[in-house]
Amino acid sequence: MRGLSKWTLLSLAMLAAVLIALPLVVTSSFAIDIFIRVLLFSFIGVAWNLMGGYAKQLSLGHAAYFGLGAYTSTILQIDFGISPWIGMVAGGVVAMLASLPIGALCFRLRGPYFTIATIATAQVLMLIFLKFRDLAWGAEGTTIPNLGNAPLMMQFDAKAAYYYIALGLLTLGLVITYRIERSWMGYYLVAIGEDEDAAEAVGVNAPRIKRNIYLLSAFLTALAGTFYTQYIYFIDPNTAFSFNVSVEAALVSIVGGIGTLWGPVIGTVLLEATSALLQSWLGSSLGGVQLTVYSLILMAVILWRPTGLIGVMTEAYQRVAQRIARRNLARA
Amino acid sequence: MLETVGQAVVNGLLIGGIYALVSIGVTLIFGVVKIVNFAQGEFVMIGMYISFFLATQFGIDPLVSLFVSMPVLFVIGVLVQHFLIRRVLGLNDMPQIFLTFALSLLLMNSGLMLFTANYRTVHTWYSDEALHIGPIYVPVAKLIAFVLAMVLSGLLWVFLHATDLGKAMRAAAQNRGVAVLMGINPNRVFCVALGIALALAGAAGSLLMPFYPAYPMVGQSFVLMAFVAVVLGTLGNVIGALVASLMMGVAESLGIQFVGADSGLIVVFLMLLLTLAFRPSGLGGGRAR
Repeated sequence: MRGLSKWTLLSLAMLAAVLIALPLVVTSSFAIDIFIRVLLFSFIGVAWNLMGGYAKQLSLGHAAYFGLGAYTSTILQIDFGISPWIGMVAGGVVAMLASLPIGALCFRLRGPYFTIATIATAQVLMLIFLKFRDLAWGAEGTTIPNLGNAPLMMQFDAKAAYYYIALGLLTLGLVITYRIERSWMGYYLVAIGEDEDAAEAVGVNAPRIKRNIYLLSAFLTALAGTFYTQYIYFIDPNTAFSFNVSVEAALVSIVGGIGTLWGPVIGTVLLEATSALLQSWLGSSLGGVQLTVYSLILMAVILWRPTGLIGVMTEAYQRVAQRIARRNLARA
Repeated sequence: MLETVGQAVVNGLLIGGIYALVSIGVTLIFGVVKIVNFAQGEFVMIGMYISFFLATQFGIDPLVSLFVSMPVLFVIGVLVQHFLIRRVLGLNDMPQIFLTFALSLLLMNSGLMLFTANYRTVHTWYSDEALHIGPIYVPVAKLIAFVLAMVLSGLLWVFLHATDLGKAMRAAAQNRGVAVLMGINPNRVFCVALGIALALAGAAGSLLMPFYPAYPMVGQSFVLMAFVAVVLGTLGNVIGALVASLMMGVAESLGIQFVGADSGLIVVFLMLLLTLAFRPSGLGGGRAR
């Protein structure tokens, strides 16, 4: 990582040390479960953010790729005995292939109608997996055969192992985002996100850039799908293609800070913490509370701080920095 | 065979009338305010619960409660425009899309908290009645809903073409800048557009109540249908949305008849994707009217 300052590197190293040590210190399986959710949804958010955040192609259909990743690895494992580690990559490739025709259709539309078209594609895939029972177990879904501790088949006794996989995925997503942010691709994406016509006018090949970032975003989302299925040992169309996955991917990015490296992570931490608190106060009795609170947070962010929590934090930091600078100036 | 097709077409047209009320609302808001209202289906849900409670608490027929649900939703529409949508106009796509999306999530989930996920039904004297026209069976409740939906759509058309406010609304839809120069107050026009669109959604809710169960997520299938109809009928075009909604109803009903009970939505989504592939500007093509 060239170009990072000494302090940034140091704080990153400290963050990494804390995250790696976390499952050794915290052993409660409830807590580890929450950490895994946070890492996983941060990763899905990061994958969404590449396309939705930087290029502002606001998809609400990323469940399509989550589901394709989940189903590809599961079908390969159960019908052909192929390890989910290979299935995971295969799922990513399937998702990429699927994103080509889906993108070709959806990118014909802009703004809200692009969003609606992406919802429709994810729903169609879910309905196909529900309807065509020969394809993959139909509506009942299937459980993943439990092989005990089988690291080669992505099955572990210790929850900590899943934690490290999720941490690895998130790190991968963040490194890719970091690299793209600082490349020509990143500038193209932001240009398209700001004003697609203007970007094309100055020679950005918008259709190609959008297609490429969609390929990458779909690939990464599919990895999360495989991981999630292996983690919960179960798959059915309603969980694999759940609209909630599409919504949460967008939500964490927007709440945290759309089009920023750390936005999806910060957004996920806030939303998952809120959700865990609500659950411990209310139990799981009151349906709808969690999403009611999420939607209020989302509205508040949109109406008052469209830059998200990152924006709030940056403003606060700048205010403090200015005050310190002014005090130093006065003293001098 | 012919009878089965005829029956499916009639069923589709009847429910298509309800889809029309929802999609005319969506297309009106899109045409005038340039916002896609993701929460339109939730206002159908609110209309349904208003009729449900008036029917169970006071014994008021859902068709009569139309005179409550429409004004209440008109007022909600004005408030939504004035306090929420007005604040994101002129911003980029993200706030415009996710504000009404958040509103949809909020209404759906507070509905879940307040009313639980139980299905609520209202049984009226005409709920089980049906006319037999030759071999075709026409349920009275759906027929009434269809006729009233068409009457309301007709009234809207007259309003848009014969009144000053309606003309101002169409002017704002065609060219906002020039309309403002001509002395039209955009926020007032937008408030009325939202009010009318939500009143139509409320009407759809009341009209549905005699033959359709109310539950917090009920709006989802209607709003998806409306989005497809609005794309198919050319964005912002009221008559296009009406015709497309009737087509969607028939397509869905034929899908249910010939492919299977749960495939109505597949047919509808495939229609959307095919439209996008071959006629992205809608069947009417080009300009919004």
